Amino acid sequence: MRPLVESETKIVFDKLANYLSDLKGLIAPLDDGDRYVFRLNHSRVYYVRLSIANLATSISRDKLLSVGTCLGKLTKSGKFRLHITALPILAEHARHKIWVKENGAQPFLYGSNVVKAHVGRWTEDCPEHSGCVVYSMADVPLGFGVTSRSTADCRRLDPTGIVCFRQADCGEYLRDEDTLFAGGV
Amino acid sequence: MAPTRTIKNKHAANGSGIKGSKQSKNPKSDGGVIKKSKNNKSNPAHASVTRGKGRPNIAELLHKKKKRVYTAKELGLPELNMVTPVGVQKPRGKKKGKVFIDDRESMNTILAIVQAEKEGQIESKLIKARQMEEIREARKAEADAKEAERHAKFDETKDSLRKKRRKPRRGSRGGGDGGDGGDVKSLAATGTNATKLTKKRVSFAAE
Repeated sequence: MRPLVESETKIVFDKLANYLSDLKGLIAPLDDGDRYVFRLNHSRVYYVRLSIANLATSISRDKLLSVGTCLGKLTKSGKFRLHITALPILAEHARHKIWVKENGAQPFLYGSNVVKAHVGRWTEDCPEHSGCVVYSMADVPLGFGVTSRSTADCRRLDPTGIVCFRQADCGEYLRDEDTLFAGGV
Repeated sequence: MAPTRTIKNKHAANGSGIKGSKQSKNPKSDGGVIKKSKNNKSNPAHASVTRGKGRPNIAELLHKKKKRVYTAKELGLPELNMVTPVGVQKPRGKKKGKVFIDDRESMNTILAIVQAEKEGQIESKLIKARQMEEIREARKAEADAKEAERHAKFDETKDSLRKKRRKPRRGSRGGGDGGDGGDVKSLAATGTNATKLTKKRVSFAAE
């Protein structure tokens, strides 16, 4: 396990900035003097408290399965892919939001994109191809995706038109159970 | 007869080759032809050394100097344009290995750069979307205005036609301006097949 280098940090922040409005809150010092840091192990990026990261150094890299919150994976092509495990962090400071109705929650959790007929509410002034977090009408985060069109364009869309392309949903905890936490193996 | 060997460059054997020089005045060999001695077969250069005893052998010195091989770096020659693999080239004076970003200051710097970049992108996207929306609105308004104009023109034409039709009914039969169609109709109505024509006639209920 090691800290990120500059290029890796930039890639990770670049992806997070698509979804989050305020990134500084991520690395802000906590009340107890501790702070959160980013750590890399087996090409997976973890968001973890510094005190815990220091403790984790006593465990060999091969044996360390997971520490803190797994944000995602750095691919071999040099990109960063966010995992569903990062949802609590994204949901906290989301820039753009979409609320889906009860009838749209299940299709989304089964891996479908969000169609206009299922949208209950959405953030105004949302440009196209920007990251958004998908919530149920009861404000429970279900996943995240990328908007297909701007909010103004979506208004003219027919009910079956796709509003948001799914990137990750909570159904992955069951569907990708085998590979989701395969970092340490 | 002993085998002979000719030296092409006489001056090299005689020294510098300059007319007034010491070496040119005192030639060592006879006419540039060196006779190979039988005693010294293995080292022919040695023969010349033995002949010029007591004097510095310049030819030998020059020969020795030539042996020195200078590298391209020593001569300051430009490097050849060869392909160097990425891993092979190592920058000097730099820290070996990865440079980790773990302190808050450097992380904040990267974060600020990334965030500013992203904000700019989003802002430009929004501006672009707004402009597109304005253009769409303007086009829509223009299309609506054209449609309204066309409708008004159509209504006007309809009204004028209605007026034309009303006039022959109210006024005298033959005296209508431009009422040729009406005259023809009235004539047709008064003809022999008048009953049939009246049946075919169409009138609007709104009138």
